[in-house]
Order: sequence, then structure tokens, then C-alpha cells
Amino acid sequence: MMNDDDLITLVREQRGKVPMTTPVEEIIGRGRAVRARRRTAGLAGALAVATGAAVAVAALIPSGHLAARQPTAQLAAWTVTRQADGDIEVTINELRNPAGLQATLRADGVPAHVRFGPSRRPGACQPYPQSPSLLRTIIQMHPSRRGVLIIDPSAIPGGVGLAIEVFRVYVNGQPDPNGISEGSSLVYASEQCTGS
Amino acid sequence: MRWMSVGTREDFAEFYRRSKDECLFTVLVSAGDRDTAQELVAEAFARAWASWRTVSRHPAPKAWVIRTALNLNVSRWRRRHREVPVADPGRIVDQPAVDGAVGGPVDPQIMAALMRLPARQRQVVALRLVLDLDTGRTAEVLGIAPGTVQAHLGRAMAALRADLMPEPQQENR
Repeated sequence: MMNDDDLITLVREQRGKVPMTTPVEEIIGRGRAVRARRRTAGLAGALAVATGAAVAVAALIPSGHLAARQPTAQLAAWTVTRQADGDIEVTINELRNPAGLQATLRADGVPAHVRFGPSRRPGACQPYPQSPSLLRTIIQMHPSRRGVLIIDPSAIPGGVGLAIEVFRVYVNGQPDPNGISEGSSLVYASEQCTGS
Repeated sequence: MRWMSVGTREDFAEFYRRSKDECLFTVLVSAGDRDTAQELVAEAFARAWASWRTVSRHPAPKAWVIRTALNLNVSRWRRRHREVPVADPGRIVDQPAVDGAVGGPVDPQIMAALMRLPARQRQVVALRLVLDLDTGRTAEVLGIAPGTVQAHLGRAMAALRADLMPEPQQENR
């Protein structure tokens, strides 16, 4: 008859049979990203306090203008907005200026390779071992709005980059005016692929 | 940063080496999905490294990592506004053997029995039996009363015993 000690031993024996395979270097790289994010948040908080003070002063002046909160970058073709929780929302309206979008994302801490056009793996990038759960943690497609992506830069492990491919959908050989589709995959971060 | 000396980094690397598998198994039993558990534990250890000066002085740094991983799981669920997948014993036990596994593959019967427990009982089992935390620390990590921990553990043990060692059926003559 199994007693409590036998049961506890059985359960404890399972420890170590499911090894954690993430290398410590990757953990430390992610830890650096966490620290960087905290520093950014601290600066943003200080800036918010300063802005709040400026707004308070402006409110005292009858003809003062209050600055609305602006996205990080906004073009007719696409918009990049950093949200309060650190996520980055990308809205793609037209397939123009992928290099500009790529540069904006990199400036926001996303090691990205952006390609607008037919879906094919960019030659400069080496595919990272694909992990659907990790990819889902890093990037989410909006469930109902085409061309809208949410990226969590803090979830990107050190040495990993994001390849984003956006292309026009064709229906019966004609470009669908509302048809933008997007795909993403993990790649190794490198100077040639993701800029760092 | 001066405090990030080589020794501190080595301390963290040693802590990670010693604790990572226990922490992964603890979160796996709680979260039910291996990929999710690995991601949660990796992020929790990354945060531990980011605050290593504080975490290294914590009386139970492994408990700090587990609490962070479990909180991340809750935040993740709230943020995504969707159900965390129900634990699927088959998914865990069907995992291929991984290099570094100690003592052969995980016992599918035991994992299945653990996954059949209600979520809170699984968390208590994970912290009390797998991570070997005492009742007080387990209560602190889960944010519940020590008496509740004991009640959940008692029920979980009874369920596991019944599952893994069913009463012998009488032979009909």
C-alpha cells in the first residue's frame, strides 16, 4: 500500500526529468533587456512628470496649446506606437518604405528585418529554431484588423531577431484594396539581418 | 555598473544551474504546458538577473523565481484575454527525451495524475512537494492562508493516491 512518503518520493523523482534547456547566456541577455526596459520606463516616467508640469503651466495660460500624445512614428503608409506597457503597435496601411519601418522598429528596441512584397525568406537572415510559443509571446497579429501587429520587445531573447514580411493579397489576379497579409518568423540577430 | 562583478555573474550562473530544472518542473506542474513553462521560467530568471542584487539576498530565491513565473502566467492570461490552454497530460508525456534529462523520461502516469488535479492543488503540490517549500512560504507565494495550503495538499495527496494506487477490486465468483 502506498503511503505519503512513497507518493512524495514518486513525485520528487520526476524533477530533473524535464530539463530546462535555455542557456544561461540567453537568460543574462534577456535580463539586460529587462534592465534596459526599466531604465526607459524610468526616463519615460520622469518625462511624463515634466510634461505634466508643462501642461499644468500651459493650463494657466488661456491661449496655450496642449500637445496630444503622439505615436513614435506616423506615416500614411504605416504607424508605430509605443504603448504604456512597453508593447509596440504597428499599423500598416500601405506597402511603402519598409526600410523606414525597419529603422523605426530597431530604434524602438526591436531587432527587426522588414520586407514588403512576396513572401520569401530574406537571404541575409539565418532562421532561428522556430518556437511557436516564443513567437506568439513576441508578436501577435490583431485578430480582426489586417495589417496590425503588437510586438513585445521585452520578450525577445538576446541574439534573436524578428523577420516581418507583409504582402498584398490578390483576388482573381487583382490586388485586393483591403488585402494586406503579414507573416513573421524568428531569425538570428546579426548586423546584416537585423542591424545588430 | 560596479555591482555586476564577475563573481556576481558566476553566483547567478550557479544559482541558475542548480535551480533551473526544479523551477521548470514546478511551473510545468502549475501551468501544464512545457513550452509555456519554459518561456515563463526563462523570463522569471531573466528578471532575477536584472534584480540580482536584491534577489540574491532573498531568503528563498527559488520561490522568488516561481512567484514571478506564476505572476507572469496570470498577466499573460489577462493581457491576451483568452483561456490558458487546459493542461494536456498527453502533450507533456509525449515530449521526446531531451539531452540532460536525469534518470530517464518523466513517468506518464504520475504526470497525468498531477495534471488531473485542480489548478490550485497542482500549484500547492508543485511548491510543497517538488520545490520543497514549507507551508508558510507556499502560502506567501500563492497569496493564500497556510491552512488553505494544508487543505489543498491533503486533498491533492488523497486524489493522487487514489489515482496512482486504486483500491483493488473484489473478484466476483
